[in-house]
This record gives sequence, structure tokens and C-alpha cells, in this order.
Amino acid sequence: MKKKDLKILIAGEGGQGVQTVAEVLAQAAFWEGFWVSYIPNFGVEQRGGVSLAFVVIDKEKMPVFPKFDTADIIVVLCQRAVPRIKRYIGKNTIFIYEKSMVDSKRGIGLDLIKIAKEKLNLRVFNMIVLGILLNFVKISQKNIEKTLIDVLGVKFKKNKDLKELNLKAINLGKSLLEDKNEKLAV
Amino acid sequence: MKPPFPKCFKKETKPSKFCPGCGQSIILKMLGEVIDELGISSSVVYGCDIGCMLLSWDFFDLNTVQTHHGRTVPTLVGLKKANPEFVAIAYMGDGGAYAIGSQHFLAAAHRNDPITIIVANNTNYAMTGGQMAPTTFLGEKTTTTPQGRSFESEGKPMLGPELVRFINSDAYVARGSSLYPLKLKEYFKKAILHQTNRKSLAFVEVLSACPTNWRTDAKATIEFLKNLEKNYPLGEK
Amino acid sequence: MGNGVIVEAALAAGAEALFGYPITPTTEVLQFWAEKKAKNKKLIFMQAEDEMAAGFATIGACLAGKKAFNVTAGPGNVLAQDPFSMAEAMRIPIVVIIGQRGGPSTGTVIYSQQEVLLTTHGGNGEGFRIVFSPTNLQELYDFTIEAFNTAWTYFFPTFVLTDGYLCKEKSIVDLHKAQKVVKPKPIFEKGKVLNLRNCYDMEEEIYEKVEEISKEFNKIASRVVRFEEYKLADAKYIIFAHGSVAASCRVAVDILRQKKIKAGLFIPKTLSPFPENQIKKALLGKKKIFVVESSLGQFSMLVQSVVYGSSLPFFEYLKPALGIMPEEIVNFVKEHK
Repeated sequence: MKKKDLKILIAGEGGQGVQTVAEVLAQAAFWEGFWVSYIPNFGVEQRGGVSLAFVVIDKEKMPVFPKFDTADIIVVLCQRAVPRIKRYIGKNTIFIYEKSMVDSKRGIGLDLIKIAKEKLNLRVFNMIVLGILLNFVKISQKNIEKTLIDVLGVKFKKNKDLKELNLKAINLGKSLLEDKNEKLAV
Repeated sequence: MKPPFPKCFKKETKPSKFCPGCGQSIILKMLGEVIDELGISSSVVYGCDIGCMLLSWDFFDLNTVQTHHGRTVPTLVGLKKANPEFVAIAYMGDGGAYAIGSQHFLAAAHRNDPITIIVANNTNYAMTGGQMAPTTFLGEKTTTTPQGRSFESEGKPMLGPELVRFINSDAYVARGSSLYPLKLKEYFKKAILHQTNRKSLAFVEVLSACPTNWRTDAKATIEFLKNLEKNYPLGEK
Repeated sequence: MGNGVIVEAALAAGAEALFGYPITPTTEVLQFWAEKKAKNKKLIFMQAEDEMAAGFATIGACLAGKKAFNVTAGPGNVLAQDPFSMAEAMRIPIVVIIGQRGGPSTGTVIYSQQEVLLTTHGGNGEGFRIVFSPTNLQELYDFTIEAFNTAWTYFFPTFVLTDGYLCKEKSIVDLHKAQKVVKPKPIFEKGKVLNLRNCYDMEEEIYEKVEEISKEFNKIASRVVRFEEYKLADAKYIIFAHGSVAASCRVAVDILRQKKIKAGLFIPKTLSPFPENQIKKALLGKKKIFVVESSLGQFSMLVQSVVYGSSLPFFEYLKPALGIMPEEIVNFVKEHK
């Protein structure tokens, strides 16, 4: 049975861009016509520390509560976030992690940092994560671009190449998981 | 013939509740006369802090708000921002201004808030029985400095007007004394006009007699006040 | 986000002045308002030197007749009790949004429901405050508008007690126009004279003053009180929750009902005045009482004071400063039913 809603948890270190990914994802999903909610969860440090983002995307109705017991998808980008996200892992949770930072025996391990450094630029590492998540939520290219400009427009104005770089990163991320997503997409 | 009350005094609340010999009678009388002469009583909002000045909550026939300790300045800052046509006069003691409210008068000096601040400085916390205050001078005995204020334990006293001048070159800053009422009146007039005409901060500290806590008779009170001038120089800054 | 919703609601309600101090999770309110002010010169904004100054400046602006509000959280809420208790004593219609975060002390910057007693009863007073508790972003918007109307109708300091989750949450909100906007009246007027004080000489004076305010407060309570009953009519188990936790409980109740467990939810949406009469009625026919909150019993105390005398078993699920998920609530009710 096709799922009506998607509960996504993104976890990383302050400075890795976790909240930006969540914000762009939530807003793009909104433009696409989904009901969405997003809340961040972090400590006081501006850099370092654990940064979590909870995103709920629903086809039919407003999410009643922005947090959840069990995530459908978890993306973990650093080791110190792992103890914080364990409680959200369920039987069917898809667990995606950054191989160079996280020790895990299960789930899908990806070398996102390496890929980012080699193919594009380390700074858009988080946008690759966004691309991966877009395998699970159908959002048109138009709405993704619209959201990127909304959220990151100020930075794009300073550097014209940034927009293209981000879009490339997103597409790259999409291609990393294309074959593994049918069961879960909304 | 006795000198008349200022028109903006509330007659029903006289005689006031201040101690005999308190400098506030002179301060508020001079303030009242200035308000009369400038014709601004309908626009004044007078704020008084905790301390012996709270007794002036019903002293004037002016819009008055008695505030929490040290908070008269921010209350009037908010009021003035909401309606700049009010003439905001904040009246407090050395404790309210320089201790618990110190961050507020400093912030007002930085922002150059267009209000008039009057600080009655009697070098002690009078209403609570004469404890040390920021302006207690070195060697002065109070109930919490029974052996006299010492630099090693309590540090040096606070020079408020000088500090305001250091922070703010636009403000009107002066220090007067209840010993020289007419000079004080001149300072008050300038201080209010600085707010209304220059839209700038005005800060006047007044050395104020407190015979009750200084435990001085009339002659000694005047001596005490004269001596204070050595620590707290008078004049416009 | 929630903080932006607060700004939109305040503007819709006719607010013109914001005074505050940066503190997580409400800091963005200052930033958004400052941006609005840059485009609308009529608005007033001051980032004060501390929360006390912010609260007192809010009082000053209200005295001058402008709808003014304050935002703070946690340790800022503690400092702000100084101005709040003055507003209580002098019936000044300040509006305050509180974004609860973990406590005590600096705690966390994230979330809690631990400022219930502080907000309803803080300061050295008797709690003459109106306190709304929204369960989601839409209610945060609606109650913020209502807070301004309520404050300027009844002249009690009025609070919207939310939390870090809602302040930072981004979701879909209907930013509708306010149905009604109460016109503010200046307290100090040029030409009239009011001598306002909060300090009295004799015991008898302050006793009479407190009695007078209390009478007024009780008189308006029935008009101000707000609550919601969710699947409560035929319920055997009544759950009490407020704010974000109530939203989680709605999900939990649905799950319990699917499992054929007859649970229902009573959500007080004003914590002060507390919906006492409605709660007493709601208890009729119920078998057990549950209270769920992200604090060590502050909300439960409010509930207990109303259900006093009832012989129903009483169960508390208390998780100070921790978010509570629907599943935990379901398991707790199942365990004790």
C-alpha cells in the first residue's frame, strides 16, 4: 500500500548544512502541494554539536505533530549524532549514512564527502543529501529551483555559479539512489 | 509672604511625606516651578523609582507612574518611543540609578534616549535605613560600612554624570545641589528643554540632604553637603 | 516559522511596538520585526539591554496607548517577572509571548513545558494574568491575535505560552485577517492626570487592592477561558494535556481508539483562567484520569487543584524538557487502563 506520509530525520553536526537541507526540502514539498512540517533540534554551539531536523511530508492532511516516534528515512552524517537518533530507528526505517564519518553495519553507506570533493565541491555536500531524499518525494525541478532561490538567493547573488553547483549536487544525489526507492515514495 | 506652591503640585498631598530637612522638597519644588514656567504640565509623564522618591507618587498634579526599583528609565524610554510628545522625567535615587538600574542609565546614555533623568544623590539607601550606596564616599560610615567605606572592599564611589558625559557628547549633563536651589532650577530648565528642543538625553544629579541617615543637625547637614562637593564636583559637564 | 507567525499575528492585531532581548528560541521574532520596521516607519522596535528593560519599556509604551509586546524564554522569563508583576498590579495590557525551553537555569535552548507556573503565577503576585497555550502553529497565530484583543479589553497582562518546538517549526498557517481588532486607549493622556503606584503603606490597603483585582479577574474569567474536548463524549479515560503535548495526544487518542480503547482528550487552552467548571463536568462518567506534560508536574498541579475531591485513579506521564511522542502516550495509557 502506498504510504500517505513520509517521516524524515536528518542528523549531522552543526555546520554540515542539515537545517538547510530540511528547510529546502520542506518548502519545495509545500510548493509541490504537500502538507509539511519541519522542526529543528539542536544545542547552543554554533558549530559542532548535534543538529537534527524532523521533516514530515503528507499527501493528504496537515501533520498533527511535528515530531515522530519512528522515522521512515534517517540520514546520518556524523558519528556523534548516532546515539541521538537510535530511538527513531524502526523495523522498516531506511538508514542512510556517510561512510567516512559513521560506523554502521546496516543501511546504505555512501561516500558523500568523497563524492562531493571529487566531483563538485565540499560545500554542496548537503545538497547531495537533498538529492538523495528527492528519490522519496516527487518534486518538480521548477519547484526545487524556486525554493533554492528563496532560501539561498542571497548567496547566489554574490556568486552566480553557486546555483548551478547546487542543482548539480542535487541531481547527483538523486542518481545515487534511483533504483532503491519504489516502495517508499510519496 | 510665603512663596506659593508650584501650580503643578497636588495641594491635597501636602505636607509631603519626606523627612524634615530632606533635599527632595527643594528638588521637587524647583522642578515644579520649571514645569509651571515652561507650561508643559499637561504633557509631562513623571516617573519615580523605589526609595524615598516613591513617596512622590502623588506629589504632583501630573501623570505619574511609580515603577519598580531601577526601572524608571526603561519604562519612560518605552513611553517616549510610543508617544514622543510626552515630556518624560525620570526621578530616582543614587541606588536606583547607579546600582540596580545602572545598565539602564548606561543604555539610555548610549542610545541618547530623549528623556530627562534626575538623580537625587544622598550617598546612602535612605528608605531602608541608611545602607551603603554606589555614591557612598570613601571613609563614609553607613549601616553596611560601619567602619567607613574602604577602597579595598567596596571600591570607589560612582561618578554618574561624568560617566554619562564620557559615553555621550550630545547629552545635557550637570550636577547640582539642594544647597543652591536657584542654580538647580536653571539646570532643570535646560535639562527639560534639551529633551523637548534637542530631542536628546538630559542627566542631572543633585546632591541631596539626608539628615535622618546622616544623623546630622541643620548646621551639620549643610557642612555635609558642602563637603560632598569635594567628591562630586558641581556644575555643567 | 512559528516566530514569524507571531510577528504576522501581532501586526494583524494592530501591534505597533516590540521590545525584547535576544534569547533562543524566540530570537527570530526580534529579527523579523526589525525587518518589518525597516519597511514601515510607524512600527517601534527596541532591542533592550536586558529582559527587565524590555518588559518595562513595553509597560511604558502601553501607558502611552500603543499595543506593545514582549518575547522571551527561560532565564529571560525569570528576569521579566519583575516587569510582569508590575503590569499585574497596575492592570497594564502588555502582551508577552513565551517560548518555553529546558530548565531550570540556562537549561537547553530547545523545548519544555516547565514555565507553566512561572508564567501563570510568577513574580510576587497572585496570578492575575491571562495565559493562552496553543497546540499548533495555527493556534499560535489565532491566540496571539486574541491575546492583544483580550489584553486591551480587560487590562490584564496577557501571555501566549508556547515552546521551542512551535517557535522553530515551519509549516502551513492561514494568516487570515483578524476578525476583530480592539482599539487601544492611552492610559496617560495629555490634559488628564493619573497618579499610578504599586506601593502601599498599610496591610489593609494592599489587601483591599488584591481583593478588588481578584473580583475583576473572576468576573471576566468565563469570557476569556478556552478549551477543547477531543473524542471525550463517550470516553472512559480522560487525558489532560496542553500546548505541543496536546497535539501529540490527539494522535495518541486516535491510535488508542483504533485499538478499541476509549480514550478522550481535554485540552485547556487558557492555563489562566483555568477551565475549572468545564473540567469538573468533563469528569462525569470517566473511569481514570491521565495527565501528560513535558515538566515534572506543573500542569498536573493545575489539574489536580480542579479534580480535588474526585476518587478517580490519577496517572501522570511526566517528561521534563523532553518531547513526548504519541506512541509513548499510547503505551502509558494501555499500561494503566
